[in-house]
Amino acid sequence: MTIRTRLTLWNASLLLVALVATGALACYELVIEPRSQTRGAQAAGKSRQEPAPTDLVEIGMFCSIVPVVALALAGGWWVMRRTIAPVTALTQAAEQMNEHNLGAPLARTGSGDELDRLTEVFNAMTARLDSAFTRQREFTLHASHELKTPLTVMHGELENWLRDGGLAAEQRERLESQLDEVQRLAKIVDSLTLLTKADAGQVVLGREAVRLDELLREALADAESLGRPAGVTASLGVCDEVTILGDRHRLRQLLLNLCDNAVKYNQPGGKVTLNLHRAGARAQVRISNTGPGIPADVLPKVFDPFFRGDASHSQAVEGCGLGLSIARWIVSAHGGTIWIASEPGGLTTAIVGLPAAMNPNQHA
Amino acid sequence: MRVLLVEDEKKTAAFVRKALQAEGFAVDVCHNGEEAWAAALTTPFDAMVLDIMLPGRDGLSLLRQLRERGIATPVLLLSARGEVNERVDGLNAGADDYLPKPFVLAELVARVRALGRRGGESKPAVLQVADLRLDTQTRRAERRNVVIELTAREYRLLEFLMRSAGHICGRMAILEKVWDYSFDPGSNLVDVNVMRLREKIDADFEPKLLHTVRGLGYVIKEPS
Repeated sequence: MTIRTRLTLWNASLLLVALVATGALACYELVIEPRSQTRGAQAAGKSRQEPAPTDLVEIGMFCSIVPVVALALAGGWWVMRRTIAPVTALTQAAEQMNEHNLGAPLARTGSGDELDRLTEVFNAMTARLDSAFTRQREFTLHASHELKTPLTVMHGELENWLRDGGLAAEQRERLESQLDEVQRLAKIVDSLTLLTKADAGQVVLGREAVRLDELLREALADAESLGRPAGVTASLGVCDEVTILGDRHRLRQLLLNLCDNAVKYNQPGGKVTLNLHRAGARAQVRISNTGPGIPADVLPKVFDPFFRGDASHSQAVEGCGLGLSIARWIVSAHGGTIWIASEPGGLTTAIVGLPAAMNPNQHA
Repeated sequence: MRVLLVEDEKKTAAFVRKALQAEGFAVDVCHNGEEAWAAALTTPFDAMVLDIMLPGRDGLSLLRQLRERGIATPVLLLSARGEVNERVDGLNAGADDYLPKPFVLAELVARVRALGRRGGESKPAVLQVADLRLDTQTRRAERRNVVIELTAREYRLLEFLMRSAGHICGRMAILEKVWDYSFDPGSNLVDVNVMRLREKIDADFEPKLLHTVRGLGYVIKEPS
């Protein structure tokens, strides 16, 4: 039954009840009462002093106004509530919907009314969106897969040429430069494959107890060696003992990635500082650098794939522009959060919040 | 050393074969799983390079069947899918090594060489290239009797390079053996550490021993 029909029927039945009640009262006043008065007059005539029944009817009418209005209000409220419930459910479901759960359809009431039909249309729309997302992911996966074979062949042929020798220095230089470009392309394809698979939930991460403070010390050694050529020094501030559940190698990659960025986007002679705080069930890693800072309007975009900041940076800094996207994936796969805070001319800090595992000592 | 190469992509098979032959290996090539199965049953190979994606019988099931038959030929798996879990699956199926495509050819050759050597030679405790000595028991490096101070990472790097002296070590192999990464974490960590190591072992001495092979990796060797 459609909502229009339901509301119409509800109003019609209220009207009908009101009409029947009015009719009954009118009939009593106009037909039954005069007749009983005549009959009473024809009889003994003693009852003439008794109160007239008309007054009783009027009292009854006035008394029934409040319950009738209350009944109408309650009924209307009940009907509207039943009608609106699917709208509320639909709103909540739409709020919770993102690109990863588009495939799950909303439950339908099956009543065939307008809202049921809306749910049906909504489900069909999300199904189309879901298949569009899936197609896009599959396209990227297939494309990167198809690119790997020609890249392998190009790389191999170039290597064979270089190994065979008999090349003039200039030819050699050209081939080597080709080799560099093929490798750069291979790296981009590799990272793109990883991100696409991660997006589709196809990368299975390990889940073991990992000492985050040990990984941070290791990252410090990496940051020191990465920074040395540019005169950037790395130091460790606070380093609380923290164990988290996760994938050791991906967490190492995350820290390395952030240190690498902190060195790359620093200035010569700059500083990189690593900190690890534990606050209850949360671990917070802070990796700061003394670089020129990131403008506020650019900050939200730094995690986007291939985003490079201003054009002057993209020439000077090597890398494929997917490092921070991969970092964000690793953090969210561990149930954490990552953001970057930057004061122009001050510190730029990458802040990673991760859920800490229960400390075994506290547990015991 | 005789190597069986199983790769359906003809061009890839051609250049890999060429590179392995240049290294002095005898190479048999198969383009599908059935051929490879027949070849592996009839001929004893010293090593096998096996692509996972093959028409007909795929690389992983071929490998499992070979192992069930008791054929223990060392196997290097190649894969274009590059899934992290695939590496684990491959090693569980009985593979000895795994290399994702696109690979550096020199890296593949080095790995095949290592497979052929496997278990053959004992590891010497003292490594020596020209006048550079590395004692793996005391973890002491010295050149011309001058002790060289190394960090833990630099020590592992030097040991790996010296164990493969004369052969190119690819970045991927270095990341795997020295940093324990099974994937490229995306950083020039290897390069800056090799640069630093070179300063320590080569800056004050002649001849230079640690060389960069552009695009391929690094090698420690005596000048010929």
